Amino acid sequence: MVSSDRLVPAGRSLLLSYRADRMRRLGSLVGQSILLLITSSSILAVLFIFYFIGRDAIPFFQAEGFREFFTSADWYPSGDPPAYGALAIFYGSAMVTVGATLVAVPLGVLAALCLSDILPFSIRQMVKPVIEILAAIPSVAFGFFALVVFAPLLQEHGGRLLAWVGWLVGGPLAVLGVVVLSDLATAGLPEKLRAAGRGAIGLVLAVVAFVGLARLGDFFHGLQIVTGVNALNASIILGIMALPTVVSVSEDALQAVGRELREGSYALGATRAETLVRVVIPAAASGISAAVILGVMRAVGETMVVWMASGNAAHVPEPWYDFLASVRTLTANIAGDMGEADQSLGSSRYHVLFAMALCLLAVSFALNMLSEWAVHRSRKKMRGQ
Amino acid sequence: MRLGTRKLIDRGMTALGIGSIVLLAAALLVFLAPIVVRGLGAFVFRGTIEYRQLTLEKFGRGDVDAVEAEQAEAVEARRPVYEMLSAYKKELADGHESLDEAKKQFRADRKEMRRHEGLADQQRADAQAELDRREAELDRRGEQLAKHEASLVELEELIRELLGPEPGQSVPVLWRDQYGQTRWDRAQVKLDQILNVETWVDQDDPDQPRVRVLVPRADAFEGTTLAPLFPYIENNAEAMLLPRLTFYWRFLTDTSFDAHFFGGIWPEILGTIYLTLGAMLFAVPMGVVAAIYLVEYAREGFLVRVLRTFINTLAGVPSIVFGLFGLAFFISTMHVSPSKSVLAGSMTLAMLILPMVIRASEEAIRAVPATYKEAALSLGASKWWAVLTVILPAALPGVLTGIVISMGRAAGETAPIIFTAAVSVGKPLWPWEALSQPTPALPWNIYNLATEHEAVDEIRHVQYGMVLTLVLLVLLLNAAAIVMRARISKKLRA
Repeated sequence: MVSSDRLVPAGRSLLLSYRADRMRRLGSLVGQSILLLITSSSILAVLFIFYFIGRDAIPFFQAEGFREFFTSADWYPSGDPPAYGALAIFYGSAMVTVGATLVAVPLGVLAALCLSDILPFSIRQMVKPVIEILAAIPSVAFGFFALVVFAPLLQEHGGRLLAWVGWLVGGPLAVLGVVVLSDLATAGLPEKLRAAGRGAIGLVLAVVAFVGLARLGDFFHGLQIVTGVNALNASIILGIMALPTVVSVSEDALQAVGRELREGSYALGATRAETLVRVVIPAAASGISAAVILGVMRAVGETMVVWMASGNAAHVPEPWYDFLASVRTLTANIAGDMGEADQSLGSSRYHVLFAMALCLLAVSFALNMLSEWAVHRSRKKMRGQ
Repeated sequence: MRLGTRKLIDRGMTALGIGSIVLLAAALLVFLAPIVVRGLGAFVFRGTIEYRQLTLEKFGRGDVDAVEAEQAEAVEARRPVYEMLSAYKKELADGHESLDEAKKQFRADRKEMRRHEGLADQQRADAQAELDRREAELDRRGEQLAKHEASLVELEELIRELLGPEPGQSVPVLWRDQYGQTRWDRAQVKLDQILNVETWVDQDDPDQPRVRVLVPRADAFEGTTLAPLFPYIENNAEAMLLPRLTFYWRFLTDTSFDAHFFGGIWPEILGTIYLTLGAMLFAVPMGVVAAIYLVEYAREGFLVRVLRTFINTLAGVPSIVFGLFGLAFFISTMHVSPSKSVLAGSMTLAMLILPMVIRASEEAIRAVPATYKEAALSLGASKWWAVLTVILPAALPGVLTGIVISMGRAAGETAPIIFTAAVSVGKPLWPWEALSQPTPALPWNIYNLATEHEAVDEIRHVQYGMVLTLVLLVLLLNAAAIVMRARISKKLRA
């Protein structure tokens, strides 16, 4: 771009008359303005969205005030008098989002590490389409799966399923933890005692870990799952939906960490795991956090899966961490209530949905700014090296 | 730390990473397998004679003679059922008659006894006891009859659902009442309901959920003339329904009838196509132009930073918010259509995919080697001419790839069209009608049929068929994009 401007200074051709030259420059100016105008339509779109959502949200706050909306958990919009306490719905959104993040982030970051540093190129080429397909599947299809396939499964075999997952995830982690801990604990001992000490401590730790896992498994096994459409179902499916975003963005961040850093670390004698944990991940931290934020955004804004899979019960679960209870999220509430609120156009019942949309918009805007800042920082850091 | 431990940690990390990838692939498989297997059930299934009769009568497809021959065969097999039913009805009527008779007798006897004033106390008490016993017996018989009648009504309803209305009866209004079960899998479910009554029994421990217990329905009719009906139905179900393997590819091109009980999903597919193409119509020109501006004309600076921030913000807006915005802006404020319409839905979807189109096009244009442009400029082309004739054609495959992927996204989005374009039931629209009328669309109807339909369980095959169609549509678009991208990268390498 810059170089071509220098080759043909300011678009001026030597053969043109002064007048033609003026016309041509004017033309290019007009053309560029038109292009700019069209490009700015996305600015306009964002402003319009904020304006029109806000315009319909304000009447609600004028009529009902802020206090009830943000502090009460009583949601009876069709009651008499109606109650518009959205706290439980905010809580439902937060709960499902946290659950989805817990599923998507560890898996996603691990998968990204594997893709960028562990797998050979040929296998990576095979895995990439899998992630793309996962990203392409429409949310309503995931929602259908959650409602028709996963919810009955969870309801009937949920306890057993959770117990298996507990063993599957906990088992290998426990083995690793036992070995590492027993090694660390015996580091201070004299040379001769070390092997014996390691064995003894390892055995004790192994027994502790096994008992812990067994009790956890029993606990899961004994769980009564009243309904398959609950926060857990929505979290898992949402987490899987957010996975491709987390994987691809954090993989980009990891790839951007230069070869030199990795090779330097290897040269100092570090293993691959040490290189990844001590060097690559810290270097890519802001990029990975951007990936996490984008994943969270995906989970917050998703409608169909939570509408179909979360059970739509507008109350705070009892106890508050009970993922097996049905919850309702902001997005699902907007989608579900609009059908009834539509007839009462202009009522508080209608405007409260816009108020919720405004909150969603504000959250996603803030998260977006945060992710941009993170990306900006990671770029700066990379350039600094 | 010991070297062995460090190595173990290293291996463990590798295993965890590979495990997560395997889990990812497994998640995809676990999701796709039931969708594909049960989705194919909408296209390939064992259709009964009722199905062939329906396609012949309502759609005019099929061989008249063959269907009539089969129908005669089925009617022959069904005759004993109806005979047994009418025999049993007669038995019940007889029972009523004899009961009335007995009641009359009883009342006469009671009167008789009351007239005999002068009986001794002992005798009187005996007679009274005898009368009470007889009255209880009569009540029991009456109850038995009422119970049998109620069971019969239920049974007849179930048989009507399985086999369709009895020949010679008036034709009901709804299609689903005019025919029996058209699919063998559904027929088997109905057959099960006929043979067994499902009850829920409390467990000893009151905290435990109730368990399902199946009781043979024949028990309720034991000792009556209807008892042989159940083994007959069980053994002759195939003869009565004549299931044959049916390939119903027109599922894609038939209109739906009777709230999706019959027919295909053409209105939904067409609606999805309109919405997607409409969204592309608005989003592609704007997106490509914006990408050209951002890559070729804009100078990095404050303006471009703001532009990019806004584009990212637009990409991050939750889809349901787009839906509300479409309702508030396009329909309530701009009045592009009196109420929901394909046009309003397309515009809303276009806003949603605009950032995707911009990003993909930008990337594709950036990937065109600078030498192309330099060569064009050095030959005396002006900048816009170079962009139009050299850069855009070179970037076209990449741009198209991005467009195709965004199309998949637009086709699958539900939330933005709920308030702006989608209705649950509708005819296929002509293109000009799309400007002002709402349409059914695959994503919305999947939700609608799976949650709000009156008989969710009975049309599972339609739901699965719709999901499979939508998923395949989106995956085909993506596969096309992947292939296109592979060819581009090959070309660029060569």
